[in-house]
Amino acid sequence: MNRYPPKKTGNGVRNALLAFTAASLVAGASAASAGVIKVGVSLRMKTETGEKYGQMVADEFEAINAAGGVNGNTIEVKLLNDECKSDIGVANATKYAYQDNVHLFIGSSCSSVSLPIVDVLHKAGVPMLIPHSTNYKITLKGSPWVFRVPISSRFSAAAAAKYTAENIGTKIAYIWASDAASQADAQKFYEYIETYHGELPVYAEQFQEGELDLRAHLLKIKSLKPEALMISAQSQDFARGLVQSYEVGIPPSVKRIGGSAASNRPAPILSGDAIKGVFFHAAFSFADPDPKVQEFVKMTAERYGVANPDHDFSQAWDSVHVARVAFERADLALTDDSLAADRAAIRDALGTVTGYVTLGGGVVDFCADATPECRDGNKTPVLIEYTKGGEDYELRVIGKTTFDADFGLAGMEEEAMKLRESLDN
Amino acid sequence: MLSIRGVATGYGKVQILRGIDMSVSEGQIVALLGGNGTGKSTLLKAISGLLPVWDGAIEFEGEPIQNRRPNEIVKRGLTQVTQGKDMYPAMSVEENLRIGAYTRRDRAGVTADIGKVFDYFPVLGERRRQLAATLSGGEVQMLVIGRGLMARPKLIMLDEPSSALAPRIVLDIFSIVNRISRNEGITILLVEQNVRMALLLAEYGYVIRDGVIHIEGDSRDLITDDNVRLAYLGGTVTDAGADAGTGLAH
Amino acid sequence: MDLLLDFVIVGVSIGIVYGLVALGISLIFSGLDIVHFAHGELYMIGSFLGIAVISFTGVPYFWALIGAMIITGVLGVVVERVFYRRLTRGGGGYTVAGMGMIICGFGMSVALQNVAYLLWGAAPHPYPVSFGMPIFLGNIALPKSYLYILICALVLMTVLHTFLTRTKLGLAVRAVAYNKDTSYLMGVNVPVMISLIFGVACAMAAAAGVLIGPINYVQIEMGYLMLLKAFAAAVVGGFGSLPGALLGGILVGLFETLCAGYLIASYKDIYAFLLLIVVLMVRPTGLLGILVKVKA
Repeated sequence: MNRYPPKKTGNGVRNALLAFTAASLVAGASAASAGVIKVGVSLRMKTETGEKYGQMVADEFEAINAAGGVNGNTIEVKLLNDECKSDIGVANATKYAYQDNVHLFIGSSCSSVSLPIVDVLHKAGVPMLIPHSTNYKITLKGSPWVFRVPISSRFSAAAAAKYTAENIGTKIAYIWASDAASQADAQKFYEYIETYHGELPVYAEQFQEGELDLRAHLLKIKSLKPEALMISAQSQDFARGLVQSYEVGIPPSVKRIGGSAASNRPAPILSGDAIKGVFFHAAFSFADPDPKVQEFVKMTAERYGVANPDHDFSQAWDSVHVARVAFERADLALTDDSLAADRAAIRDALGTVTGYVTLGGGVVDFCADATPECRDGNKTPVLIEYTKGGEDYELRVIGKTTFDADFGLAGMEEEAMKLRESLDN
Repeated sequence: MLSIRGVATGYGKVQILRGIDMSVSEGQIVALLGGNGTGKSTLLKAISGLLPVWDGAIEFEGEPIQNRRPNEIVKRGLTQVTQGKDMYPAMSVEENLRIGAYTRRDRAGVTADIGKVFDYFPVLGERRRQLAATLSGGEVQMLVIGRGLMARPKLIMLDEPSSALAPRIVLDIFSIVNRISRNEGITILLVEQNVRMALLLAEYGYVIRDGVIHIEGDSRDLITDDNVRLAYLGGTVTDAGADAGTGLAH
Repeated sequence: MDLLLDFVIVGVSIGIVYGLVALGISLIFSGLDIVHFAHGELYMIGSFLGIAVISFTGVPYFWALIGAMIITGVLGVVVERVFYRRLTRGGGGYTVAGMGMIICGFGMSVALQNVAYLLWGAAPHPYPVSFGMPIFLGNIALPKSYLYILICALVLMTVLHTFLTRTKLGLAVRAVAYNKDTSYLMGVNVPVMISLIFGVACAMAAAAGVLIGPINYVQIEMGYLMLLKAFAAAVVGGFGSLPGALLGGILVGLFETLCAGYLIASYKDIYAFLLLIVVLMVRPTGLLGILVKVKA
């Protein structure tokens, strides 16, 4: 393998020269042309946890380089923080696409950020590998450039809804934050209950992301006496809602349900005891006894000081390795002129990734068509319950369900068409 | 007691006073006369410390006080009584008086002095719990004078106590001021536009114009002085001297 | 009926907190003739300091409240002395310096937020106290944290009111708030009083921050919405009036909670400003703003 990977890029002559040296040194490395695969990463790195999984993504790619790279090519990673804000995310993606000329974009964490980035990268023709965003609309837009590792809300919400309906009840109150992921989680949840159990929501209201005071909603919900309460929001809003739900006196017998963000590390720390008994759906649980999971947990504890990584961690890791598989399969020239072709090659290679087993146990299957069936990779949500809150919180897995690729897509043709139209404009 | 030599000052870069010389002896009532914009109030602000003095010296009881902080100057016994509109409308009459005694530590003395002010101005005593905002113009003027007395000053500077008041009330106030000066042995520097009224009360007078002392002398002389009479004794001084270019009779 | 009572409890408790911050804004407005746009950040920093006091010394919540008030008060005095003094010296309100002061306030808000970011990071912090389950009065839940807010705010208001109306120093503060030059002539040391006013206002903001801590999390961005609400409260109550600020706070809190409760809860933040607009249309001086603020 190539012992002299070029560390810096931007110099075509030098790259060509190095490619030449590499080719003459390493006989037999068929398509290897010692180039640089540029990856742009934009994640929510607002919190310490975010900074850590961002660092992990960079470290994992470096580890691949250290092990000899991919087909003799090295990977260069750039890391940007989008703070979960769509304007910053779009700016990051634009910079990566047109200024840094990346071959692959990995991002973002938040659905509301990923949604507009799809449009940007679709126009620029850059493959986009999504590590965290779960809103079902992202893949429904139908861009051929978009691949999603995590579980779309059309699956995960249904899994939680099915469990709730069968074990708790169908009289459910919902409040959700205005961000795209939380909105989709709640909506898919009550649509499932409505479709399969014929029960309408007891209460369904949206609140502004970052709202400090949810007590007006919660007091109304209290008077409606539901069997369960779903608070679908990013972890801080979720934790706040949870604590306030006890504060206004909604009895503990009312089961609290979270959206996928309830698994994010700040949630149990912020809400303390209030989170006990809350269950949510996620792609991964650190409580999973699987040795692969435990090895990963050990790694994050040692390297990043995170003893209880959430699925943001695991999926960031999965995304790196899905990308690696694609890089291995793609036929890349990696010259200044081949940018568009290389991007397309990586896109096509991503479309061939099947049977990738994630840390959470779900399997990522992609295919070539630009449809949600093909591009929503993982279809196996895990249902997880908190058994202890606070800094050293504990979880237990209560179940896993795998859905068919086309689950939840019935009757969405019209929405898909509208989204596709807006993408092409 | 108070001596001012060559004081110059102004606002920002605009010079108003161009070298004022005047003095006030203990026990005297001295009038400082001049029209609008001649520098009367500026001089008061310079003496009481609200305005920095650019040049010259101000001495009170033999010690320089120019460019001292206003609160220090008040402690030395030199109090300025501003115009009536500067009372505290949201405070009661009594609170207004108490704030006047802010520099004093003797509680009993302050309470006694409040009684004394009510003796001089019985109407204030009747309204001691009312908010100052509810007082009439004359009552407010009495209030600020009373407030000035509360600091137990040695010298009190009255800034236009007659402004915007009916002549009969002005006469009342002036006679009380006269009585206070005699009874309490307080020296008074009276700043006025109402020349005739002021000269009746004061023993000595200065006329300020364009930032300098224009005329000075005993009140009796000033009243009969042709210049003063021509320039100011039409009643109140309104614009005499305000417009430097018109050059009124010298 | 129970629901209404629930709403009232929530509305009043949050309203009192608005009121405490509004009080500071009002106090600074009367004392320095400026609208202090960084006040939300002092509220945020006060809240963080409460956590810091608890975690460093392990004292109970109440002493953390007092500790945070003192530290924030001192911090406020430093900010005023070092940064604002040279601007306010030139005059406040609608003068050029007053405009400069508004910009300076915004700048200070950004600066303080970044200082807090360096110290505590962007992640929200939970308050290290737990009040346990609420007290139930029949069907009505009365969380202990609300009781705490109610009691602390009442005590603070009483202390402040007594200080302002019954002490000589308080009298001087009111005098300076009305007219600095005249108060100087009364022998009041005006610069010291201005520092005192600023310190007290910041301490009040810190109290609000510590009181709200257990209900919400503490986060560097928490100041801006509070500033807007407190500003609305101060204007509704009558800018410059202290009882008005508290009354305004309670009205804003009640109004927005009731509207959110019986109308559309998602528009909660709009109702405060709706109330502001209505009050300004009907009574431009605010509810208690007429007698107290005769200042030109």
